[in-house]
Amino acid sequence: MSTPTVKQRVDSIVKEVLRVDPAKIMPSSRFKEDLGADSLDLVTLIMALEEEFKGPISDEEAAGLITIGDAVNFIEKKAGLQES
Amino acid sequence: MNPTRVFITGIGVAAPTAIGTGPFWRACLDNVASIAAIPAHWLNYHHPASTLWAPLPEFDYLHYNINRIERMQIDMASVLGLCACKQALDNAEFPTSLKDDKKNTFDIKGIDPSRCGVFMGTGMAGIASFAFNQAFHCFSPIKELLGEGSRADHLLRMPARFNPFAVSQIMPNSAAASMGIKYSITGPNTTFANACAAGTIAIGNGFRAIRSGKCDLAITGGTEYLADEFGGVFRGFDIAKTLIRDCAKPEKANRPFDQKRSGFLFAEGGAATLILESEKHARQRDAAPIAEVAAFAESFDAYSMMALDPEAGVIKKMIRDALDEAGLTPDQIDYVNAHATGTQLNDEVEARVIDDIFGKRPAVNATKSLIGHAIGASGAIEAAVTALSIRDQAAHACKNLDNPVRDLNFVTTPAPCEIRAALKNSFAFGGHNAALVFVKP
Repeated sequence: MSTPTVKQRVDSIVKEVLRVDPAKIMPSSRFKEDLGADSLDLVTLIMALEEEFKGPISDEEAAGLITIGDAVNFIEKKAGLQES
Repeated sequence: MNPTRVFITGIGVAAPTAIGTGPFWRACLDNVASIAAIPAHWLNYHHPASTLWAPLPEFDYLHYNINRIERMQIDMASVLGLCACKQALDNAEFPTSLKDDKKNTFDIKGIDPSRCGVFMGTGMAGIASFAFNQAFHCFSPIKELLGEGSRADHLLRMPARFNPFAVSQIMPNSAAASMGIKYSITGPNTTFANACAAGTIAIGNGFRAIRSGKCDLAITGGTEYLADEFGGVFRGFDIAKTLIRDCAKPEKANRPFDQKRSGFLFAEGGAATLILESEKHARQRDAAPIAEVAAFAESFDAYSMMALDPEAGVIKKMIRDALDEAGLTPDQIDYVNAHATGTQLNDEVEARVIDDIFGKRPAVNATKSLIGHAIGASGAIEAAVTALSIRDQAAHACKNLDNPVRDLNFVTTPAPCEIRAALKNSFAFGGHNAALVFVKP
């Protein structure tokens, strides 16, 4: 089995935390407006991403993650994350 | 009018010897004990006089309606409490249905949730989460100052982040709240923080809520998780000289009521949940009672924060109050599940109290000789043992009891035992005492 991509791993975490219809999980989906996440969901999502990618995401960095695509781009670019 | 009868219809246990009521009770009757060396990394911080504890077995929380995301948000005391709660609901044959997929919450079918209460005891639920978050708070600037690979790295144990749910992790009421949320229970939801008597007091209050007519159903018990990352909680009990001192032979070290006892065995944690139900509610759904709660009494020593009053007059009065409420005389109590920590003073006083009130007739045992002392959970786990002893008409042994502190009818090998009525005692730091009387329904 091939190693899952960052995008697949992020999608999986979003699905696990927010329990949304998989059809709604797209790079352009906004956590709050499109996926219905409230503030507790958002901190939970960040915590789950930190655990998955084994590294810290600061509050400032988290504030910039509006869509699923933002999260994927951020993790792909940030050194120290992505460990499988 | 006769008071409302209160039945125990479900039991769940998470204890150092086993997770699950069935395996736990079998382990008790097989004389299985949990005892091991304390975690080696605790010795980086301190060399305690006691070196043994009763660790919990590993278990898969996913089996108990707790998902991975929730596990990141709650303290281990809540995990243990939810584990025992799920078992007890299953044991009582309450069907549940998923209410909210995202929140992972459930409805209990066939009950009025406003007539159901949650009554949980704990000494210090949340303490391990407090210590670990505090470690991140204190150590992260030190680690940054020293850089990676410093000589202090092994001491700077901390989580990957300060948990955003830290406040709800460290609230002692979180375990009770997590059960109420998990199973959509909207009646009274209360936490009793009475140290080593907390679980017993919580069960007693659930009993009273049903007897008074406020509730039909009560999820009662206790939970505790004491293993902070640094062994600081252990050190607190160790420096107070309450823990086992004689650690040379681990398999013989934990010996409540023995003349050679040297303190109590610190348990990593534990939980037990007892479902209490009015007779009417239980009969309407054809639920079979495991045992019946006949009385609850409590008292306060007003003597010392850390030691029993050796005169024990307050404890004796409490036990007599419990017998009065149950409508029983001392000679009708067949079994005493003692508090029995294994400390010098505690066991001497308790044995004398039992002798003075009951004489040498009732069977007496010490569940802590098998599983150590899980503080706020201990009374609940031991109440579970008392109920199961009544159900199966059997008593487990006082492990390692070779030379009893007093001539009582101590159970030294697991054996069948005719039990029509039983007493469960708990005595706590602070001076809180509690007693429950259970009878064969």
